[in-house]
Amino acid sequence: MVALPESQVRRPRRPGSEVRRLRRPSAREAGTALLFVLPFLLLFAIFRFTPAIAGVILGFTDYTIGGDTSWAGLENFRRLIDDPTFWSALRVTVLFTALSVPLSMLASLGMALLTRRAFRGAKLFRSIFFLPVVTSLVLAGVVFTWVFADGGPWSRAMGALGLPAGSWLADSALVVPALVLVSVWSRFGYGMLILLARLQDIPAELEEAALTDGASAWQRFRYVTLPQLRPALFFVAIIETTVSFQVFDMIYVMTGGGPVRSSYSLVYLLYDQGFKYFDLGYASAVGVALFVMTIVVALIQRLTLGREE
Amino acid sequence: MRVRKRLSAVAVALVAALVATGCGGSGSGGSGKTTVTMWIYPVIVDEAKHRAHWDETVKAFQSANSNIEVKTEVFPWANRDQALATAIAGNKGPDVVYLIPDQLPKYARNIEPVDKYLDDAAKSDYHENLTKSVSIDGKMMGAPILTSAATPICNKKVFAAVGETTYPTSWNDLLTLAPKFKAKGYDIAAYPGDSKQTLNQTFYPLLWSAGGDVFSPDGTSVAFNSDAGKKALTFVKQLVDGGYVDKSLITNVPSIEQTRIGQNKVGCVWHVPVAEVEKLWGKENIQAVPHLTDVKQIGYGTVGSLSMLKGAKNKEAAGKWIAFATNAENTKKYDLASNFFSPRKSTGTLYAGDPVLSVQEQQVATSTVGPLHEKARDVQGVLFPEIQAALLGKKSVEQALDDAAKAAAPLLR
Repeated sequence: MVALPESQVRRPRRPGSEVRRLRRPSAREAGTALLFVLPFLLLFAIFRFTPAIAGVILGFTDYTIGGDTSWAGLENFRRLIDDPTFWSALRVTVLFTALSVPLSMLASLGMALLTRRAFRGAKLFRSIFFLPVVTSLVLAGVVFTWVFADGGPWSRAMGALGLPAGSWLADSALVVPALVLVSVWSRFGYGMLILLARLQDIPAELEEAALTDGASAWQRFRYVTLPQLRPALFFVAIIETTVSFQVFDMIYVMTGGGPVRSSYSLVYLLYDQGFKYFDLGYASAVGVALFVMTIVVALIQRLTLGREE
Repeated sequence: MRVRKRLSAVAVALVAALVATGCGGSGSGGSGKTTVTMWIYPVIVDEAKHRAHWDETVKAFQSANSNIEVKTEVFPWANRDQALATAIAGNKGPDVVYLIPDQLPKYARNIEPVDKYLDDAAKSDYHENLTKSVSIDGKMMGAPILTSAATPICNKKVFAAVGETTYPTSWNDLLTLAPKFKAKGYDIAAYPGDSKQTLNQTFYPLLWSAGGDVFSPDGTSVAFNSDAGKKALTFVKQLVDGGYVDKSLITNVPSIEQTRIGQNKVGCVWHVPVAEVEKLWGKENIQAVPHLTDVKQIGYGTVGSLSMLKGAKNKEAAGKWIAFATNAENTKKYDLASNFFSPRKSTGTLYAGDPVLSVQEQQVATSTVGPLHEKARDVQGVLFPEIQAALLGKKSVEQALDDAAKAAAPLLR
């Protein structure tokens, strides 16, 4: 038997990777395409990049509203390191993210798996599950403040289960879990939609083949569905992490950062420094720290969850 | 190819149009008139009434100053600092803006003092303590147009239900009444402790009343951890620990309708304006009482003033407008329409016949606007969580105030 050269070996195409190699566009075609995307690029540069770059530069200045701007070098970052409020806000943000991202992803995945089949009322359920995503967090915050209040439905339910019945929002140890629950409630619908779209893209033959081979439901999920979901899971993880790092409005409405700063997040610190105390240089330094943190975590996620995509 | 060329031309035109519309300036007209812009907030709650006041005032001003056009814009109270700070930073701020003393230190470097635009008679017509409360480094940062006295107000209905006919005048009175109120299912008072409350209206009145202050006289350090501060915080803690106030308000303050204050379950409050409880309690059930006394009788009161920003395009015109809008006649009209008090001596008392406002009006002299320190707000930011910690039993009063003082020290360097 003669072995075929490597280039002539027909590799089985991975499902979902049916992308044809496109012809390289000519310079003229590329120019035309660029012209079409130019308006968006310009708007993006003006309204996204420029403020972001300006924000980073501000972090290195001592800037006051309408006053003099002086170069501060690394002073704002040195202040960050010495500021116990920054470390406490960082702790809260990391804890919130560490709890909310996996929970939100689990809820999204669970709901996507439950609603992927075309059963009667599936669309209605999907819409209902998506509803919290389009509900104002401020409004939801007001309602959940009542839910978690002392004597509210949550506290009564906890009491009935023999657990401490006080307000979770007034308890330093329980306030972040309470906020996480609200966050998961408000976010899982988005992840569910992304994962659902990907689930419906997975060729049915793959699962059928696994079924024929006698794979159990868990094995089919673990070895067929989950690997196929990897890119979508990576996307959801990145989005959820970014959103969690930026948590603010819900906290502002529900706890004001309390009790005793136990729900005071980094963006809350940024808001206070920027718009309450007008220390915009320091606020920008907080923003830069948050940005770096988000990028680092996204890279770690890329290396672990999204390395093949 | 021709199609491609046409598409390219369309794209270029689109880009050009976008750039043109995005970057075009609004232009100023060129009518020869000077325009003064003023930002104001809903000081008169009824919007139509508020607009009518300023339309009328502007009309009267323009009859004597036909070359000056005045544009007044009424903005909501919410997020006013964000809007103003952003506008100033973008060089799009108004010429004149309504500010209260709490804001003055932060905007001081953006404010043009108004001293030279007010004549001596106008300046000497202000109550001295009010002139002081809008002055930084001896310069008036705004021309006062109104003042207030946030005295305690008590709910007559609640007092009647408890069977009490005398109202508290001191901290001791509150502590004496508290158990009786609790026994009947009422709270004697309320202490809101979340970050959205200004300490000027919650803790500081007690601190001042105990003889203390927020900052040392030279402003280089904080003074709230003095014996007076400890006494004031211990008093609040007594109310909390005794179950005499709603503990949930320490961590989160919902809208007033959802609180025991709105549900007619609280005897007296000193952080809520009369207008806010009027609908919930009924005007006839409001009993205003003088500022509470401990070592001295003192409480919070604000001063609303019209300030000129340094970026004002025509300072003379803006100054003329401020002087006119805040003259005794216009001030009186504005204050009567908004239920505030006059900062001017010449207007006399405005509410002699009003059972609630007359009591508060008499307290203007014993009211203070709070510290005019550049870091006043920042210091509140480090003090309020420590007060929460003490009230929730996580720290002792002494520890909490000392920790807050430690956290405040780097802010004042």
